[in-house]
Amino acid sequence: MRLIKLLILFSFYLFPHADDMYLLKGGNVFLPNVGFVKKDILIDEGLIISIKDEIDSSISENVINSDGKYITPGLIVFSALGLIEIGALPETIDIRSETYNAGFDPSDAFNPFSQAIRLNRSKGVTSTVNIPSASGYFAGLLSYTKINNGLKQKKQGPLGLLTSYGQSYDDSRAANLMFIEDLFSYVRNGYDSMKADQIQFFYGTDNEYRFTKRDLEAIQKVINKEMPLVVRVNKATDILKVLEMAKSENINLVLWEANEGHMVAEEISKAEVPVIMDPLNNIPGTFDSLNATYENVSRLHNAGVKLAFYYDQSSGVHNAYLATQSAGNAVALGVSYNEALASVTLNPAEIFDIKNVGVIAIGYDADLTIWDNDPLELMTQVETVFIDGSKQDLSNRYDELTERYTKEEELPNSYRSR
Amino acid sequence: MIKKLIVLLTIFVLFGCGSDALSMFKSEMEGSAKNFEGDIHGTYASTYTPLKPENIVIRNATIFDGNGNKFLDYDVYFSDGKIKNLGVDLEVEGAREIDATGKYVTPGIVDNHSHMGVYPAPSVRTSSDGNEATNPVTAEVWAEHSVWSQDPQYKLALAGGVTTFHVLPGSANLFGGRGVTLKNVSANTVPDMKFPDAPHSLKMACGENPKRVYRSRGPSTRMGNVAGYRKAWIGAENHKKRLEREPEHRDIKNETLVGVLDGKILVHNHCYRADEMATMINISQEFGYKVSTFHHAVEAYKIADLLADEGICAALWADWWGFKHEAYDMTIANIAIVDQARGGTGCAIVHSDSESGIQRLNQEAAKALAAGRRAGFEISEARAMTWLTKNPAKSLGILDKTGTLDFGKDADLVIWDGNPFSVYTKAEQVYIDGALTFDKASNFMPHTDFDIGIKEWEEK
Repeated sequence: MRLIKLLILFSFYLFPHADDMYLLKGGNVFLPNVGFVKKDILIDEGLIISIKDEIDSSISENVINSDGKYITPGLIVFSALGLIEIGALPETIDIRSETYNAGFDPSDAFNPFSQAIRLNRSKGVTSTVNIPSASGYFAGLLSYTKINNGLKQKKQGPLGLLTSYGQSYDDSRAANLMFIEDLFSYVRNGYDSMKADQIQFFYGTDNEYRFTKRDLEAIQKVINKEMPLVVRVNKATDILKVLEMAKSENINLVLWEANEGHMVAEEISKAEVPVIMDPLNNIPGTFDSLNATYENVSRLHNAGVKLAFYYDQSSGVHNAYLATQSAGNAVALGVSYNEALASVTLNPAEIFDIKNVGVIAIGYDADLTIWDNDPLELMTQVETVFIDGSKQDLSNRYDELTERYTKEEELPNSYRSR
Repeated sequence: MIKKLIVLLTIFVLFGCGSDALSMFKSEMEGSAKNFEGDIHGTYASTYTPLKPENIVIRNATIFDGNGNKFLDYDVYFSDGKIKNLGVDLEVEGAREIDATGKYVTPGIVDNHSHMGVYPAPSVRTSSDGNEATNPVTAEVWAEHSVWSQDPQYKLALAGGVTTFHVLPGSANLFGGRGVTLKNVSANTVPDMKFPDAPHSLKMACGENPKRVYRSRGPSTRMGNVAGYRKAWIGAENHKKRLEREPEHRDIKNETLVGVLDGKILVHNHCYRADEMATMINISQEFGYKVSTFHHAVEAYKIADLLADEGICAALWADWWGFKHEAYDMTIANIAIVDQARGGTGCAIVHSDSESGIQRLNQEAAKALAAGRRAGFEISEARAMTWLTKNPAKSLGILDKTGTLDFGKDADLVIWDGNPFSVYTKAEQVYIDGALTFDKASNFMPHTDFDIGIKEWEEK
């Protein structure tokens, strides 16, 4: 009996529960290519099962009056949420590897109890694309994780292979390009998988040149077009080189950062390559970004490039939810509102072919955020978040600290439970 | 010094010199004085002159005056570089009229924590000049001697409405050196940018940074940090005594520290943790100086009452956290809690410490305001505007010159195309000392030498 109870309790913790049916009534619902429309949404067993002008309230015990509220798909962010607790403490960081590079996927290190997860969930984020940071030619594999309460999270991946191209302290960027070509040719022509773990691709001792079997297999997936190569690159001429390389290697490409992308926007658009970027990057912070400008985002948008946004400024690692601030600024910089909001919801899902999320549509995962106002405005607050149809606990450490220090009590605050 | 002046004045009276000649001789005299005062008011004094100040009346604007007031359909009039009047339907003759219906006017934003110029763009080793990380006590270095006048970042901050910024040395050292307050104007020399008569400042740093940078030679602990501050202040006291015997004696490290003890240099103290800030207040009491402002102060909300009681400002981010251990206990309500302490007598400041953040300080204030309201405080937008204008000006000792739209102050102001607390709002025009320095519509803004020849594309 006790065991059964335990088992029930355990399974509750293990899997996001969604046996409750919810009716979200009368909210302004964000629909792709349409914008905000007043609709009722019915969710059940983790999915959106109905979207109508009017759904009768008697259908569900759980009606959430959303009159005047704004309902969007949950934010999909690009981050190291759950993989970095404190930036300056390496022992709390799990996005790095010296052992693997191309084959490195940090998602198994994901910590759902990270304070950064709690904060970001309370700010409307429902899932994250995990950003690896291995040392070497490749930073590792991108993957996708939901950030629901509890011990278990749904994952997808690998989504892509992350690398960078441009300025470096040692090799010329020309040499880096040659290396990528040679490495791809080596993998394409059938590397000896039996020996892969023993040999180094080049006989250097530097880790940058060492590839294990796992690393070479990841590269093979890019060559097979099972996933894209994601290249962090900024200089306009470098972007052109990367586009050429992707074409000649016949691989799928995603551009990352692309501060000078506006100078080659037509070429990027023609190649149908999406760009993941922060519209706020306007500082000529490196010699690869001398032409960084606020105009980048609108020029790429006007050229028809598919965009996804992240917030790259300063504390972006822990505040990934501020992608909405980047998106709001993008609107002020000339991007259409619907496209800006899609750039933090639908577009990340489309770019990486993440299944069943990013849009409010029948049959899709009920990952939803209810806002008290325009989701891209700075003073808007999140009221409710659903992940897989499960209403999330939005408590977080910053609210708890605020309360601890603003409530007058007789005992010192350290004696309060929160 | 005073004796010398009397002698000179006697000479002027005897020979009947005019007042122009007097001021000329006076500045020569001070410039030649090789001491603390001579440095500040002579050799290294500001040589800033405004661009062309205009006579302008801005009509029908929503005005946040920087004092915490909001005025609807108001006019603001400025001439000769100074604010002359605020009111309804001002009668002004001979001034250029600007219709600001539907727009907002605020004082120019003051950022009291910037490293523009000392960490310029592009970020490369050859111009990374913000931390003299060779000794934990480098009170002798001055940020103004690192500032690169051609940093292309100034104009980006200007487009965000920033008219004054305070450049500090970095936080590697217990005493990082002197900071400098600059007008956000493009100039070929640093003295041409210096805010006239702004007090010098001293950067101090608590916590993780100094003990990390000097862990092999010390200090390597927080208690080591504290011993380091106290030893340095004792050295400054000894220097002060020595000056009584040897007035000509020079020691540029101790001149800075004695400047603090004499109340002439303002202390800007990088400090995250509440308990460390309280310790720093103890140290200031031991040696009889005052901390102007704690910077970053992620835990300021834990001692908001103490800061209000001591009259110490806290310069804060809206929401940065987690990049280091001492920045873990974040609340986005930090700024609001500091502001509202002791019946709203706290001094809260939104600072940037970022070449990106400085471009959107209004947005940072909006997030902090929203969090404050969420925490249950009733705070107006007009009040939140003081976090960007009045309070940082106070913290830098220049509130008598800028930071509000009061009569007679420098005409440093911004016309916004909407409510500055909205993400969709942009600065339309920026005036510094009554001169137009940025105009979005005509793309009028300064360009540094670094910008020349770079652009390989046409701006819209």
